[in-house]
Amino acid sequence: MRKNDAHLSDQELLLYADGEVSQSRASHMREHLAACWSCRSRSLELEGAIASFVQLHRSRLDALPPRADGLRSSLKARLAATRKTSRIRLLPGAFWQQAACAGIALALLAAGVWRIYRDSFRTGHNVNVAVAAALPNRSLTPGYTRPVKLSELCSQRQSNAPPDEDTSVEQRVFHEYGLPFSTTSYEVDYLITPDLGGADDVRNLWPEPYGSTDWNAHVKDELESRLHTMVCDGQIDLATAQRDIATNWIAAYKRYFHTETPLPNAAEATRWKVEHRRWTIALAGRFSLWTFVPVR
Amino acid sequence: MSSTARAAPPSEIEVEVISLFDQLQERLLGYVLAFGLSAHDAEDVVQETFLSLFRHLQLGRSRRNLRGWIFRVGHNLALKRRSANQTANASVAYESIAALHCDPGPSAEEQFAFSQRQRRLLSVLEALPEQDQRCLILRAEGLKYREIAEILGISLGSVSMSLARSLARMARAEGR
Repeated sequence: MRKNDAHLSDQELLLYADGEVSQSRASHMREHLAACWSCRSRSLELEGAIASFVQLHRSRLDALPPRADGLRSSLKARLAATRKTSRIRLLPGAFWQQAACAGIALALLAAGVWRIYRDSFRTGHNVNVAVAAALPNRSLTPGYTRPVKLSELCSQRQSNAPPDEDTSVEQRVFHEYGLPFSTTSYEVDYLITPDLGGADDVRNLWPEPYGSTDWNAHVKDELESRLHTMVCDGQIDLATAQRDIATNWIAAYKRYFHTETPLPNAAEATRWKVEHRRWTIALAGRFSLWTFVPVR
Repeated sequence: MSSTARAAPPSEIEVEVISLFDQLQERLLGYVLAFGLSAHDAEDVVQETFLSLFRHLQLGRSRRNLRGWIFRVGHNLALKRRSANQTANASVAYESIAALHCDPGPSAEEQFAFSQRQRRLLSVLEALPEQDQRCLILRAEGLKYREIAEILGISLGSVSMSLARSLARMARAEGR
């Protein structure tokens, strides 16, 4: 056995701290540590490294994009589907065929119910259907941003056009929403527009209906444009704009345009924008020193 | 319509799986992400893991140390997923954290207050062999050495050696 005065290795110190040594060995080590400042300080160094690692690891988990509870709901639905099919196996052999048909019907029903449920999941049950269709399902499309600097976003207007045609991504989006692939009825659109730092990611894309509701893609464009202006003018920060548009763009539109219904036409929004610009420029002229303090 | 979905109550096993999911999904996701998978793939792997757990329990198989079981299956599924994606974008573990933290716009920086010190640690972590990174994450998730050894298919001694080596490197990087 090791003498109590022999220094402990990093490995031993760690095994001891993690409670991974036998009791008798632990008591020897404890004695040694009580007597040895050198080993104790080494042990503290290791503890410090552990604390740093844990902090780093946690911050990574915290930095994950919000997932709502889409993953949980989807797991529950898949478990429920398994439940329906697994019952078939429990039935007597004579009824197997009929039961299999019943089971498949049940599974299909469950899948159908799940889809409907999933689509209405975020908006609740009493919500206006048209609004529900115009809003993405938050569990499927929580919004996802890319690393971007404010100066980049504001120096040049980026394309807010629907994402480049990548059919596989589009198909995936339709699939997630349980919709048949159709580029004529829907436009796969960004939830958080690239102008506001939105990413080309399936979590930031959803099938937006073309003009079938008042709250359509054109109306959303107006909001995007307005938020971009406000962000670049420093009236709101980028994170707020991203959050507002990702949480409920219709509610955000109502709030930012002070209206309960979409403005009659884009012209009105544009007029507002021009006036707003003029106002901002005038203000900037008066408070130039304050206004041009770099944001970053 | 949701009442139809709820008509048949979930079985005990389902409830148990969901409760384990609630406890461990975030931890498993953190582990699986360290395989360099995209968040989407990592979430898929997490879901597949819990579906496997459901089948495992439904077949009446061993309930001993389910947490270790979940990480082991998650580990295997993540490896499988990664090799399937290999051609696409295999990246180094922890790369995604760097991206998450180096990224952003003004608010994100405030949000994560990611200091120089942490960046330095991150570069040390990225330079570690994958096996060492996995040991650290699994240990950080509260797993015992025996469980880690089982998940990674290595000996107990290798686990403690790996952990001690990584922590010593991190301590050095911090100038301790």
